Amino acid sequence: MPAERLSAEEAVARFVSPGSVVGVGGMHMTAAPMALVRELVRARCRVGRLVTSPSASLQADLLIGAGLVDELVSPYVGFEHLGLAPCFRRAVEEGRLRVLECDEGSLTHALYAGAGGLPFVPCPPGIDLTGIPQVNPELFRQVEDPFTGESRWAVRALRPDVMLLACREADEEGNVAFGRFPFTDRLMALASRRLVVQVERLVGSAELAAHAPGTTLPAFLVSAVVLAPGGCRPTAAPGDYRADEDELRAYLEAAREPQGFEAYVARTAAGAAR
Amino acid sequence: MSPDYGRTELMAVVMARSFRDGEVVVMGAVPALPLAACRLARALHAPGLSYIVGGSGTVNPAPAALPLSSCDPDLAPAPCTLPLPDVVLLEGRGDALDVFCAGGLQIDAYGNCNLIAVGDWARPKLRGPGTVGLPFLPAVRRSLLYTAAHTPRTFVERVDFVSGPGHPSGPGEERAYRQEGPSLVVTPLATMDFDPGSRRMRLATVHPGVGVADVQAATGFELVLPPSVPETPAPTEEELAALRRLDPTGVLQD
Repeated sequence: MPAERLSAEEAVARFVSPGSVVGVGGMHMTAAPMALVRELVRARCRVGRLVTSPSASLQADLLIGAGLVDELVSPYVGFEHLGLAPCFRRAVEEGRLRVLECDEGSLTHALYAGAGGLPFVPCPPGIDLTGIPQVNPELFRQVEDPFTGESRWAVRALRPDVMLLACREADEEGNVAFGRFPFTDRLMALASRRLVVQVERLVGSAELAAHAPGTTLPAFLVSAVVLAPGGCRPTAAPGDYRADEDELRAYLEAAREPQGFEAYVARTAAGAAR
Repeated sequence: MSPDYGRTELMAVVMARSFRDGEVVVMGAVPALPLAACRLARALHAPGLSYIVGGSGTVNPAPAALPLSSCDPDLAPAPCTLPLPDVVLLEGRGDALDVFCAGGLQIDAYGNCNLIAVGDWARPKLRGPGTVGLPFLPAVRRSLLYTAAHTPRTFVERVDFVSGPGHPSGPGEERAYRQEGPSLVVTPLATMDFDPGSRRMRLATVHPGVGVADVQAATGFELVLPPSVPETPAPTEEELAALRRLDPTGVLQD
């Protein structure tokens, strides 16, 4: 079935139920679906549980700063060399955000489990020596290995109700292609019940196939395609534009205080593309 | 006489020397320093070294300038790019990766790292960004710890939260892991390894111009001190020239 072509406003209104489990793609300051995230902020759409890629930046910090996130599943929210995530820090240090602590390995395997219909999966090695499972009984439980009898940690499958994703291109039907780095976005998409994809451009099917063999998602998984050229800014879209570090720094400076954050949101999200 | 190299450049050279030909190295966020070290090692003594740059999944990228972000689009022309879930699979497999380059808000006497929270986890004094791949440290052959902040706040007796496991802290602590664990710690002041008996951090070398007492004063626990602590050999002309060729924008010059 072809995906619908919608505006960001229409797609969020149709497919993001307030209070649901929302996945956001993009790794560090690259390929964050900012057009869709800004629309969530503009529409004041509450996220019951935000699930990020193994390393999120502005796409998580903006939603947290806007007070829209009840629970967070993320192994990293930060801005690499630019600094820590101001709203995430403040919310956790002030006890206003429930963090379901996890790491890249457990998150990835929990997404594999979600994508493959497994209710839970044993964790990869190492996490048993950390403090993570003990502080997150919602996602981690001990199970007995049926083959050896040994105890090990398992992680519950993750299945976002809807995944917000930035891809490079889509064709008329809604098949989508990633840029050079698929990151974990493709796996997250496979694990999610619904998929809303913002793209830089629309192309013909032959062109799509020629550009990105093997790094596509089929239209039957895609609920909506939102055409949003420049929609990853100020994060990067590989092949199209680099991260706007001046703008990211301006955000980090503004978001050091709640008032500055509100002013930033008024400037950038209030008039999000309809 | 003031040295003609920066301390971060010295760190890159020291890290490069620790890599052996044929090893596979993985690094995380803010990759400029370990990336420079890997490329330097490949240029000088380890032409068969492979390295994976964090979230990008790129293998052996050689961008014209050192990138500040691990997902910088300039990494894209790498000879191979692994989708990130593939990197996670290999991190867990245990026999695919040799060296994990890691750091932390806190690093303790046993080489445990903490990127999650300083203070109580539920209501931290400082919430860190999160641990990403550091739980995999015991699964790779060895880990190389590095930090630009050699201070008593970073180097603590015990981390507040173990997010990257180090060595067992007691002789009775049984572990299923048979890897080497943290093998080397590189800072702007010194290099440290771990005492084979106690598994505690041991001062190995002090950088030129730094005294043993300076390092101890900057460390929040008692370092194991061998009878004599040699000076870290300064970068050779060849090392420095090769390093600056791969860092034309001076990212490592501080």
